[in-house]
Amino acid sequence: MGDIASLVAKRLGLGLLTLLVISVIIFFMVELLPGDIAQAVLGQGATEENVAALRERMGLNDPAPVRYFQWLGGALTGNFGESIVTGERVSSIISERFINTLFLAAYAAVIAVPFAIVLGIVVALLRNTLFDRVANVLTLTSISSPEFFLGYILILYLAVKTSMFPAIASLSGDMSFGELLHRTFLPALTLVLVVTAHMMRMTRAAIINLLASPYIEMARLKGTPPWKVIVKHALPNAWAPIINVVALNLAYLITGVVLVEVVFVYPGIGQSLVDAVSKRDFPVVQACCLIFAATFILLNLAADVGAILTNPRLRHPK
Amino acid sequence: MGLFVILYFAFLIIASCLAAFYEKRSVFLMIFSLTMVSFVLGIVGGAGALRFVAITAAVLAFAAGISYAFKEFLIAIAPRNAAKELKTAPLTAAFGMFVIFTYAIAGIFAPWIAPHGESEVISSAFAPADANMLLGADQLGRDMFSRIIYGARNTVGLALLATLAAFFMGALAGLLAAVKGGWFDQFMGRFADVIMSIPSLIFALLMLSIFGPQIIVIICAVAIIYAPRVFRLTRAVAGNVVVMDYIEAAKLRGEGDWYLIRREILPNSTAPLVAEFGLEFCFVFLLVAGLSFLGLGIQPPTADWGSMVRENATLISFGDITPLIPAAAIALLTVAVNFVVDWMLWRSSGLKEM
Repeated sequence: MGDIASLVAKRLGLGLLTLLVISVIIFFMVELLPGDIAQAVLGQGATEENVAALRERMGLNDPAPVRYFQWLGGALTGNFGESIVTGERVSSIISERFINTLFLAAYAAVIAVPFAIVLGIVVALLRNTLFDRVANVLTLTSISSPEFFLGYILILYLAVKTSMFPAIASLSGDMSFGELLHRTFLPALTLVLVVTAHMMRMTRAAIINLLASPYIEMARLKGTPPWKVIVKHALPNAWAPIINVVALNLAYLITGVVLVEVVFVYPGIGQSLVDAVSKRDFPVVQACCLIFAATFILLNLAADVGAILTNPRLRHPK
Repeated sequence: MGLFVILYFAFLIIASCLAAFYEKRSVFLMIFSLTMVSFVLGIVGGAGALRFVAITAAVLAFAAGISYAFKEFLIAIAPRNAAKELKTAPLTAAFGMFVIFTYAIAGIFAPWIAPHGESEVISSAFAPADANMLLGADQLGRDMFSRIIYGARNTVGLALLATLAAFFMGALAGLLAAVKGGWFDQFMGRFADVIMSIPSLIFALLMLSIFGPQIIVIICAVAIIYAPRVFRLTRAVAGNVVVMDYIEAAKLRGEGDWYLIRREILPNSTAPLVAEFGLEFCFVFLLVAGLSFLGLGIQPPTADWGSMVRENATLISFGDITPLIPAAAIALLTVAVNFVVDWMLWRSSGLKEM
């Protein structure tokens, strides 16, 4: 068992290192600005005194590495500095929205994951039938459509024409859970459609890959009933790829959420990222990017660790 | 029971009888299952549902017909070798090629096809469609149809340029890494890992916030984001070629790295690279469309599909589908490219799934 622990620890260390490198990239890219942040924010017409004052307020007079460590230390304790535009604390802008985003992603994942895996397995078993072909075309179409296309189609048919669900996902504190689910159904469904398609295709590929291996053929040849081949022989080996697929797609959800939030005016972190980008509010942009990147890396990490835990072969790298 | 219902069922039944008579089993099965589905849906949903089924089936049949004709056309005009390959193309791939061909025509000849200028205000805001304006006017009174045609040039052109940049950088780095090996290979590999662990949209937004939404920034951002993916694939493909004996022989002959790349490795790894190019194009196209939907892509008044969706989105709440058309144009092209890539992957991998 110590073997597994050290492997997982190694993988965790690598993930942390990547995160550190990314925080460096995110921080120092802003330094690439011609002039500096204060100049860029205030524009060409700003007086010398104004720029100097802002520089003082943002602590730009310190050398960049010092500021980096201050920023990183703050980020670790949940303090991302102040927004340039409104002067609010970034953490107070983001924290509530981050929970909303997580809720939306989790809502979509709870529907999409079981649905996609079951469908993926069914499609893999029925491969090269008409059903498989149709599913192939449909999933390809869904993957190829931009998120906003699916979102607006859903708005058109489920919100405007039939008014079953609200088109705009406005949230307020005193809503019951059922109401919350109802209000956020359309954004969640958009995400479900995109992610399900991805996941189905990946599950299908993984299962087909598995079913082609000789030991499955052996099981079939000795007359094992088909369901038993799947449950007893194929599934134990299929867990690793399936866990991988799930984690990768959850990571995908995290970024897909940005466009969906904008379409449905959902109060999430993606929307504040987009707002901050167009206003060039760098502290908010940096904080959002760091959060998104961290989530992305964590999920990828989870995929790797899950694969190591479920597949003994990965524990003995050649 | 309208005339439409009677004619529709009569047509389906005659068609399925003909198919059965000429022993076309799959055609018969398809038409007859359509008949059964229409029958059930007609009872459940009435004439409206039936009309929907009929229109969907007709559109599908039309698309299939065009794809088939286009494929035969390509086979007829292509040289013998290419024609042989084309014969293996499934209908979906033919459909993809047809769509790509149409977009190319629209993009190249945009100024001649579009009835009005790209940013020419010719009517009031959101004016409905008439004989002059096929799809009505947008939020400033510009002709929607003309803007969509121009969008084919601007949006697809930008995505294509960005993909080319990414592909060029990635493929070159991958080939060099495969040939040189050693620390260069290691360094590029780790570098690609880091870039790939940042979500692409987030990274693009970060760069755009810093350098501002200009075309050159978008191209550079996309190139930086997607080059590592191309690098990975090229490195893997070229890595398999580099260990071959003929590479060893060429090295012993004293050929330089550049010769190895150009004359030995590239010709032996084109097929996966071409398929990868198509795939990358899809990702880049969706990313660029997403950025312009967020208002951070091509800036107005240049016509661009992503921003057109955003600008006209208010129409959706009145049940108007106009804003969906540019979005559908994006989706259609991506689907088409994916169909073609699917076929090419299947062909190049030699993997004929059981």
